[in-house]
Amino acid sequence: MNLKGFFVTTLSQALDLAIATPEDVLRHVTPDLLSQHLPRPLWARLLTACMGAPRVDAQLIVDTIGVPNLCEHIPVSVIWTCITEIAQRALGGESAVPTRPVFTRPSGAVPLSMTPPPPAEQRVAASSAPVAVGPTIPAPAQSLSDVVAALEADERTAAPLRSRSPTQQRFRGSSTGIGRLSAAANRRPQATASPAAEPAPARRSPGDADPYDETATGVGKDDWKSALAVEDEQLVDWSAADETLTSNETRDDGVGRKR
Amino acid sequence: MSSDQRQAWFAKMMESGLENQVFAPQDVLAHATPDVLASHLPPELLSRVLASSLASGSMTPERVLETVTPELLAKHLPHGVLWACIAAAAARAGVTTGAV
Repeated sequence: MNLKGFFVTTLSQALDLAIATPEDVLRHVTPDLLSQHLPRPLWARLLTACMGAPRVDAQLIVDTIGVPNLCEHIPVSVIWTCITEIAQRALGGESAVPTRPVFTRPSGAVPLSMTPPPPAEQRVAASSAPVAVGPTIPAPAQSLSDVVAALEADERTAAPLRSRSPTQQRFRGSSTGIGRLSAAANRRPQATASPAAEPAPARRSPGDADPYDETATGVGKDDWKSALAVEDEQLVDWSAADETLTSNETRDDGVGRKR
Repeated sequence: MSSDQRQAWFAKMMESGLENQVFAPQDVLAHATPDVLASHLPPELLSRVLASSLASGSMTPERVLETVTPELLAKHLPHGVLWACIAAAAARAGVTTGAV
């Protein structure tokens, strides 16, 4: 039986699989135990490594000594205690580790894994009372269902009040003139203007001159001056005219009289 | 530690214990009883165990562990059962805890 070989494998695998840590090993393999059981050459190697390392920790010690050397020189009971602790922690909530073989009844089909799981962590229920951090905001007096019910009730009661007025035409009427015809009845009566009797336009012969044709009136460029010429007796003497008197015509000084 | 790591560690311990003769296959089956095996091994593995035994004409602990390897033991059986096997072997070897 190679018990130490078994321990080497068990402890090495526990460290490699991160099931155990070097601190777990040094918790049992104390410096006092090392000083008592570790050979001097291994101590020399350990001291050399520690002096050359920037930081001395359990990892350095275990790596320097090595698990095979630990299992070789440290008492097996210590190594076994270390392995037992690791196994107990790894088993966690499983059944307590028996030290003697398990005997089961042939007829009883009770599996060994009937141990109930460990109780779940009791979580502290969060207090419902909010922490007053900012300004106090009053808590809603109604629940959401109450608010919804109140809104529905409001809609039912407000529905008759919000009846719509008859729809009116929002757009201008079409340009058919129908509206103007109906509006003409409301207009104030107006006097009908009798059209002036216009003389029937004389039919012109192609040889007649166009009356609107300036060139055809027979008025030359210099004749219009003679046509607009007036005689002296046709001029109005504004100084003798009464129509031009203003309200200040009573004044004797003649001021304000417009000439 | 994850469950995979623990499973790998127990597989290695079982393998090492068998290799180093810390315990024998019959010691394993003293804990991994037929009830335990029947309760935890999957049907296909049970079938293979039975087929192997039928082929060889006997069902011995060694032949069972040839089929139900340490990896499969650690995968399907409760680790407490495996640890009980290891602890019992340590106790038989005279290894005790605490005393130096």
